[in-house]
Amino acid sequence: MTDVVSLRQLESWMVVLLVAAPAASLAAIGIPALVGRPPSERVTTRAVAIGFTVALLAALGILVTAAWRGFPEEVVHLGTLFAVGTHAATIDLVADALSIPYVCFSTGLCALVNAFAGRYLHREPGFTRFFVLLSLFGFGMNLLVLAGSIDMLFAGWECVGISSTLLIGFFHERRAAVAAALRAFVTYRVCDGGLLAAGVVLHHAVGSGDFDRVFVGAWPTARCLLPETTAGLAAVLLVWAALGKSAQVPVSGWLPRAMEGPTPSSAIFYGALSIHAGAYLLLRCAPLLDAAPWVSRLLLVIGLVTAVQAAVVRSVQTDLKGMLAYASMTQAGLILAEIGAGWRLLPLVHVISHAIIRSLQILRSPSALHDRHELAASLGGPPDAVPPWLVRQLPVRVQEVLYRVAFERGFEDAFVGRWLLGPVVAGIEAAAALERLVVRRLGGGGDAADSWRRDRGAS
Amino acid sequence: MTPEASFTLAAVLVCVVAPLGGAAVSVLRVPGLGPRLIAGVTLAASLAAALGVTWVWHAGSGLEVVAGPRLVGGSLVHVDGLTAILLPYVAVVELAIVLVAPSRALDPVAVARLLVGATLTFAIMATDHPAALVLLWIVSLLPTWFSTLATPGGRPTARVYALAMVVGSLLFATGVALLVADPPWFEGSGRIGAAGGWLVALAVMVRKGIAPFHSWYPALFSGAPMSTALAATMPQVASYAAVRLLVGHADVVPDELVVLTRAALVTSAYGAALATVQRDVRGLVGTLAMSQSAMVLAGLSGTVAMELCGALAIWVSSGLALTGIGLAAWALESRAGVLSLEAPQGRYADAPALAAFLLLFGLASLGFPGTLSFVADDLIIAGSLDEHFLAGTLVIVATAFSGIAVIRAWFRLFGGPAPGDAPRHAVLPRERCTLAALLAVLFGLGLWPGPFVQSLERVATSLLASRQSADPPAHSGVHP
Repeated sequence: MTDVVSLRQLESWMVVLLVAAPAASLAAIGIPALVGRPPSERVTTRAVAIGFTVALLAALGILVTAAWRGFPEEVVHLGTLFAVGTHAATIDLVADALSIPYVCFSTGLCALVNAFAGRYLHREPGFTRFFVLLSLFGFGMNLLVLAGSIDMLFAGWECVGISSTLLIGFFHERRAAVAAALRAFVTYRVCDGGLLAAGVVLHHAVGSGDFDRVFVGAWPTARCLLPETTAGLAAVLLVWAALGKSAQVPVSGWLPRAMEGPTPSSAIFYGALSIHAGAYLLLRCAPLLDAAPWVSRLLLVIGLVTAVQAAVVRSVQTDLKGMLAYASMTQAGLILAEIGAGWRLLPLVHVISHAIIRSLQILRSPSALHDRHELAASLGGPPDAVPPWLVRQLPVRVQEVLYRVAFERGFEDAFVGRWLLGPVVAGIEAAAALERLVVRRLGGGGDAADSWRRDRGAS
Repeated sequence: MTPEASFTLAAVLVCVVAPLGGAAVSVLRVPGLGPRLIAGVTLAASLAAALGVTWVWHAGSGLEVVAGPRLVGGSLVHVDGLTAILLPYVAVVELAIVLVAPSRALDPVAVARLLVGATLTFAIMATDHPAALVLLWIVSLLPTWFSTLATPGGRPTARVYALAMVVGSLLFATGVALLVADPPWFEGSGRIGAAGGWLVALAVMVRKGIAPFHSWYPALFSGAPMSTALAATMPQVASYAAVRLLVGHADVVPDELVVLTRAALVTSAYGAALATVQRDVRGLVGTLAMSQSAMVLAGLSGTVAMELCGALAIWVSSGLALTGIGLAAWALESRAGVLSLEAPQGRYADAPALAAFLLLFGLASLGFPGTLSFVADDLIIAGSLDEHFLAGTLVIVATAFSGIAVIRAWFRLFGGPAPGDAPRHAVLPRERCTLAALLAVLFGLGLWPGPFVQSLERVATSLLASRQSADPPAHSGVHP
C-alpha cells in the first residue's frame, strides 16, 4: 500500500515537471531577452534542451509507473487559480491512457526538434526568438494534453496558437510570411471562439469546467453526464474549434501557407503536434460526441471531405512543403473521420504514427530536394512523373476538370473569401468609413460627402 | 476617529494634492527641476499614498471611511474597496505615461495639465457626493480639452471632444440634480428620480464612448497627444460615476443599467470590429480602448458577483494593457513618425524591443493565459453567459475581433521588408523599465490572481449588498 502511495506521489511530481520544465526554459531565455540581454546560442539551446529532456524523462517515468499500475486515471490537483462564488478555475492535470502516450511523444518530438533546430538555425537572426516560441509551444502543448479542465485546456490551446502564428511569421521581412501568419491567426481566433463558448456551456451546465464533473469513468470508456441537447451544443462548438486547429474544410486554407515558417517549426507544428491538437481535443471530449450522434456524423463527413479534397489538391502541388502540408491535412481529415465514426484507440495510434512519420519527412525535406537533384543528375533528367493509376482511368475531360479543381484548392479559398470573409470585411470597412465621415463633419472639416466616397474607394 | 481612518484620510489627501503641487512647481519652472522629474516624483508620492489606502483597506477587512458633508447618501470623501483598488491603478497609469512620454511632449505646461488632470481624477475616485461628482466631472474635462486644442492640427478633435462633453456634462448635471431632488434609493420615489437616472445613464454613455455616442473616442486618440488620450480615458471616470450613482441602487432604477449594458456590449463588439480595419496605430489604440472600456460597463450591471468581478478586473487589466500598447506605440511613433497599418512597415529590425513590448501588451489585452486579462475574460464571460447567452456571445465576438486587430497591427508594424534607411532605435532605460514594470504587474496578477480576485469579490459583494438595500448605502466604517 505504501509503495503504491509513494508511486502515486512520484507520478504527481513527474506530471508537474512535464509542465514546469518547459515553462522554466521559457522564463530562462525569455526574460533575459526581454530586458535586452539575450543569451548566447549555446546557452539558449542548452536551456531549452534541459527543459525538454527533463520533461521527456518525466513523461517516460510516468509511462513506466502508469503501465506498472495498469494506466489508472491520476488527477493531480495543483490548486485553484482563483475562485468567485461557485466559479473556480482549478489547476488540475490528468495522467491517463490518453494523455500519457500523447505527452510522451509530444515531449520527445519537441526535444528532437530542439536538437535539430539548434544546428539548422545557427546564426539565423531571431535564433533566440525561435527557441522562446518553441518553449512556449512545448509548455502549451503539455498543458493542453494534461489539462484536467476545459479552462486549462484553453490556456494550453492559446499558447499553441500564438506560438504557431509567430513562427509562421518568423521570417517577418517576407510579406508572404506575414500574410500567412495573419491568415492562420484569424482562422485560429475565429475557431477558438468555439472552444471558449464550449467552456462556458460546460460551466453553465455543471458549474465547473473540470472534466471529472462532465464525464464519469476513465478514458476511453468514459460517459457524458450532460443531457443530449447540452452535450450536442458543447460538442458542435468543440468540433468547430478543432476544425480550425486541424485545418479542415472550410477553414483549411491557412495550412499550406503556414509552411512559410522555418522547417523545424513546420515539422513539429503542421506535421505533428499543432495540427493534431484538434483531434486530441475531440478525443478528450469524446463522451460529448458519443452523447450527440449527429455531431459525430457531421465530424465524419467533414473529415472525409477534407481528406478527399486535400488528397486531390496535393497531387498538383509544385513544392515539397506544400505537398507535405496537404498530405498532413489528408491524414488529419481521416483521423477526425475515425473519431466521428466512434473509434477511440485507432485515431490515437493514427495520430502518433502519422505525426512521427510526417515530422521526419518535413525535417528531411530540404535534404530530400538535394537527393532528388542528385538522382536527376544520375538519371540524366528528372524521374518520370506518372499520374496515379486511378486518375489515368478517368476520361481526359474529367482529368482536366479535376486538375482545375485541384489547382484552385477545391475553390475553398474563393468560397471563404467571397461568401464568408468578404461581406464581413466590407461591412466593417463601410462602418469605419462612416465613422471617419461623422468625425470629419463634427470636427467641421472638408467636404464630407467627398471624403466618404474617397474613404469607400480607398478601402 | 480610528488611526486607520485617519491614516486613510491623510493618504487620500496626499494622493490628491501631490500632483496639484507638482503642477504648481512645473508652471513656476524651478531651475534644476525638469518637468518629468517633478511629475515623476509627485505621481510616485500619489502612488505610495494610494497603496497605503489599499493596504489599510485590505488589512482592515473592508474598512470604509466617510468624511465631509453628505448629500442623499453620498459623502465628500468616501473610501471603500472600489476606491482602494482604483487609486493605485490610476496612479500607475499616470506615472507610466509620465515616464515613457517623449521629452518633447513634456513641456512644463503640458505636465501641469497632466498633473491637474491626475488630481481631479484622484479626487473623483474618492468621493460619492453628487454635487462634488458633477463639479469634478466637468472640471476634469478641461485639461484634456486644452491639451487637444494646443496640439498642432488638434482643433477639429478638440471641437468633436467639446461637442460630446458639453452634451454629456449637461445630461450628467441635470440627471444628478433630478436624482438629488427625488432620490430613487429612498422609498416612495417618483418619476423625477427615474428620469434623472436615465439622464445619468446617457451621460455615462457619452463620456465612455458607448454607441451611438462613441465617435469622439477614437478621434481623441488620433488628434490629441497619446498622453492626453490615455489620461482622459483609462481611469474611466464615467464607469466610476455609474457605479456610485446607478449600480449601487439598481433595484430602484434597473432599466438604465440594462440599456447601458446592452449598448456597451454592442459597442464592445463593434469597437473591436472597427479595430481590425484601422489605417494607423492611433486609430487602433482608440478603437480597442473603446471596445475594452465598454466591456467594463457591460459587466457592471451584473447581478452576480462573478460578473462584477470580471468588470472590475477588465477595468484594471485592459487599462494597464492599453496604456502599455499606447505608450509602446507612442515610443515607436516618436522615432519613426506616423505608423500606418495599411501595409507592412518592416519596423522589427528597427526596434525589436518595442516589438516585443507591443506584442506582450497586445497579448495581455486579449485574454492570453498567464495575464490578468485571461482571468478577467474568464470571469466576465462565465458571469455574463450565466445571465444572458447573447451577452456572453457578444463578449466572445469582441474578444475574437480584438485579437485579430492586435495581431494584424503587430504584423503590419513590424513585418515586411525593413526600410533601407531605418536606424536602429534603442529603447531608453526609463522606457524599458516602465514598460517591463507594467508587464510584470499584468503577468504577476495573471499568474497569481487569487488575492486580487478576492479583493474584487469583496468589492463586488459590497456593491451587490448595497443594491439589495432600498436604504441609503450603509457605511460600516467610520463617520467622523
